[in-house]
Amino acid sequence: MALIRTENVCKSFNQLDVLKNVTMSVEQGDVVCIIGPSGAGKSTFLRSLIQLERITSGRIFIDEELFLEMKDSQTVKRVDHDEWKRLLLEMGMVFQSFNLFPHKTVLDNVTLAPMHAKKVSKAEAKDRAMSLLARVGLEDKANEYPARLSGGQQQRVAIARALAMEPKIMLFDEPTSALDPELVGEVLSVMKSLAESGMTMLAVTHEMGFAREAADRVIFMADGMILEESNPQEMFTAPQNPRTRQFLNSIL
Amino acid sequence: MDRNPKSSNKKLKRVAITLIVILAALAALALTKPDRETITASLSTTLIENAGSKYAETYNDFFVFNIIRAKDSNTAETDTYIGIAGNMVNVNTGFMKTLGNVIIWIPALMRGAGVTIQLTMAAVCAGLVLSVFLALGKISKIKPINRFCSAYIFFFRGSPLLMQLFFVYYGLPQLNPAFAINDKFLAAFIAFSLNSGAYCAEIIRAAIQSIEKGQFEASSVLGLSYSQTMRLIIIPQSIRRLIPPVANEFIMMLKDASLVSIIALADLTQVTRSISSSSSSVVVYIPAMIIYLLITALFTFIFGRLEKRFSVYQ
Repeated sequence: MALIRTENVCKSFNQLDVLKNVTMSVEQGDVVCIIGPSGAGKSTFLRSLIQLERITSGRIFIDEELFLEMKDSQTVKRVDHDEWKRLLLEMGMVFQSFNLFPHKTVLDNVTLAPMHAKKVSKAEAKDRAMSLLARVGLEDKANEYPARLSGGQQQRVAIARALAMEPKIMLFDEPTSALDPELVGEVLSVMKSLAESGMTMLAVTHEMGFAREAADRVIFMADGMILEESNPQEMFTAPQNPRTRQFLNSIL
Repeated sequence: MDRNPKSSNKKLKRVAITLIVILAALAALALTKPDRETITASLSTTLIENAGSKYAETYNDFFVFNIIRAKDSNTAETDTYIGIAGNMVNVNTGFMKTLGNVIIWIPALMRGAGVTIQLTMAAVCAGLVLSVFLALGKISKIKPINRFCSAYIFFFRGSPLLMQLFFVYYGLPQLNPAFAINDKFLAAFIAFSLNSGAYCAEIIRAAIQSIEKGQFEASSVLGLSYSQTMRLIIIPQSIRRLIPPVANEFIMMLKDASLVSIIALADLTQVTRSISSSSSSVVVYIPAMIIYLLITALFTFIFGRLEKRFSVYQ
């Protein structure tokens, strides 16, 4: 079953077309990596899925339910308010710049959304947060403020914070791009273990090693379009599209 | 953490100990202080005899400090003594006379300062509450709310506070007698808090808009509503950024409060002006300005502490 499916999603900022007819789907349990040159619209696509950007036209399905249909910047159809909130929370998101809440401790960062958006009791939220922090290897930092942590640690807290809402799919928007090179590994290993545990993931990344090892499918995007989509072996050893070849040659 | 909190704590402790020692010494002196009759008896008797029935006596007594002045209302001749715990010194001439005058004025100046502080605190606090709504209104995307708040802020920042005060006190009753505000303090409070609300709204708006966009995005993807985002994420982070400009607003308002002397509310400036005209001397401006400086120093100290408290997470 496709957790997320898009049909002909287009997005333009004024005259600039950022996404052009993006059609793709992510099945339950899939780990999908989106690669491509900067300005390809990868991040915009991810942000459009979770409604941080509004698409110009196209359809988005979540759980095979038509979540949003747009045409010429006008809403054609959307699910009702409660369903909208529920479906949005099936997605968790990890940002390039972490976006932790700096005035809250690590533990409060993780418990805040379950307590206020889901009305989970404080004790329950705390138990769950501690086990998630243990999972990302940071239970001993629970009472620190984010500013005291390294970038890698902050990003792992951000992953735990997103997981605390129990999403069905995790969206990663270049989660390691803002990190010092020696801190990239710890975040990638958390992501790998998440993938191995069966979490559905859609990640925009420049870490080709991660895409090769962890992904079930790799999507190559350029100029707002999906140019190639295949399994990692084929993508990295025998790319079909000349743009893909050119891109992979330039970075590998 | 650039400043060492331990060293500043030590300094504070030293100041506190010094104050306690001084207070203890004064308390001991106060026990030995003679009563008013004994002090009055130390006045020279010649002036009292000459003045006859036109004699007037001023006695002030704060803690261990005493001041007594005899005045012949016919000749305006005075005989003044000041002292500590009954040890009176004659201050009829020269520098001592000025000092004696200043001490006599202090109770009146303090009452004026009390009015000034109350007005400033009340107006800025009320203004802050008002300004939260104005600021949220001004960043709101709902057109009528946005327009109203923008117009309000434009009006109160763009016209002189003095005119606003005049309008509330003298203008409103002319529009409709039902709006008459007979209490001068209340009129000043209304005008000043409406004005302060506009200034604080801009401070709060700037602080909210200085919070990174990522904080809104993270809140949104975690399913927090707009009001939860504001209440739990954005406003708590804005508070630390608010403190320095709000401290500034307090200090500005403290000095703007002197405008109320125009409607004859007995604030520090008004008291100073009336003392100055009745004593035909401008000396009273010196202690008055020192009192203003002391109040400013107190505000600065309190806000400095607040700022440190709210910086724990940085």
